[in-house]
Amino acid sequence: MFIIRIWNYLRGYAIIIVKGLKIERFINLAVVNNIYIWDIEKLDYTTVKAKIGLENFGRLRDIVRKTDSSVSILNKRGFPFILRNIRRRKLFYSGLFLMCVFIYIMSSFVWMIEIVGTKDVDNESILRCLYNEGLKEGSWKGRLDRRHIENQVLIKMPELSWIGIQIKGTKAVVEVVEKSEGPPLISRTDACDIVAAKDGVITKLLVLSGDPLVKDGDSVRKGQKLVTGTILRENLEPRQIHSLAQVSARTWYEDAEEIPLQQIEFKPTGRVARQYKLKLLDKEFSRKKSVNFKDFNEYVEERHLISFGDYVFPIKLIEYRFEELVPELKTIMVDEAKERCAERLNARIKLRIPEDAVILKRDINYYTDKKSVKAKISVEVLEDIGVKQKIY
Amino acid sequence: MGKRSYKLREKLSNTFELPKDIVLDVSKIIIIGTGQITVENHKGIIEYSEELIRINTGSGIVALHGKNLAIKTIFQEEITITGEITNMEF
Repeated sequence: MFIIRIWNYLRGYAIIIVKGLKIERFINLAVVNNIYIWDIEKLDYTTVKAKIGLENFGRLRDIVRKTDSSVSILNKRGFPFILRNIRRRKLFYSGLFLMCVFIYIMSSFVWMIEIVGTKDVDNESILRCLYNEGLKEGSWKGRLDRRHIENQVLIKMPELSWIGIQIKGTKAVVEVVEKSEGPPLISRTDACDIVAAKDGVITKLLVLSGDPLVKDGDSVRKGQKLVTGTILRENLEPRQIHSLAQVSARTWYEDAEEIPLQQIEFKPTGRVARQYKLKLLDKEFSRKKSVNFKDFNEYVEERHLISFGDYVFPIKLIEYRFEELVPELKTIMVDEAKERCAERLNARIKLRIPEDAVILKRDINYYTDKKSVKAKISVEVLEDIGVKQKIY
Repeated sequence: MGKRSYKLREKLSNTFELPKDIVLDVSKIIIIGTGQITVENHKGIIEYSEELIRINTGSGIVALHGKNLAIKTIFQEEITITGEITNMEF
């Protein structure tokens, strides 16, 4: 039945209203004359609504005459009428068609490059490298040799250990893995010494192989040789081995901070100005409105105006938001200044101390005068300071 | 067609198990639920309103009572009626 409906739709049909006293006869005559009518509904005692194929409509005339009824067309449906409508509005539909073609063509380019996984390497340098290899906003997806670009970028950027380019819609998602910088590994078959990585006082020296040059309680400087891999014995040829040792040492970390008691604080006044810029490919269209704030915070937000999931098109609206700030002179209490000093110092020193170190002592000393609070932190930790150094 | 030839054909179809609606020119009525009835081998409609449709068939007049009755399709051989059918008479 569905097939018949599609067929009727393609051929085109009219919804007609038949008025007359001999409706039954009308239908029977239509059937006998091979006129296909369907979806016959009685509207009231003398009227009937029905559907009839276009080509049969003219043949109804005889039946109408025979049954003394009248036929009027309520509506025309189907593909031929749509076709006629399209023909009448050629320009509109050709525009629609061109639009579809345009969108299709546009979606075969890369319009956005997303970089995932960077920590220390900045995205700009990766983007520049990709640009040189041919992956940029606006490059054609069909001609991208991803494998080649990946290899070239890896060769040119030694700080990356892996790169993967995925094309999703009009986005190119570039996933990178950075090389983690560890100490250069020394094979166990190579001879090496052990040197101090930092200044410190040795608390416990556990030598597994090699000859110790220092003993517990010695204070050592950075770079000083602690255990040697060159073994010298009487009556024997000097030989070189791979030395192994655990060097526990106390080390110190120091830092200082000063916070003035009189502080200028910027507070938002609540006044906000906005500037908009429309970016189409590389061209920018902006309406400059001057911002006459003396002090302000600036926020930039970029939005793609047309995007369907992963299909992003190169029209961007860039919004610059300026929040006016007013400077306020503020005098803070000594205790508050101290607290802030401690907070900053602790946060900073934490970055320098290795994670596996044991903190033995943490001292913060404050020196207060009229204008500011100065603070000094010193942290004493226990850590392993032995580092292998190859003997050449 | 005379009565004799009808009886002959009835016997024929009984003996050879041929479908009666073809051999005897009687109607075959298919009822789907209470919403659709197809009558094959009809001989035209006699009366049509929303509550009652009467169809002439080789084996007499079939009257369908119901609500909102509509003729879905109508061909020379077959007529399909939809609507809430409540009652059917021969």
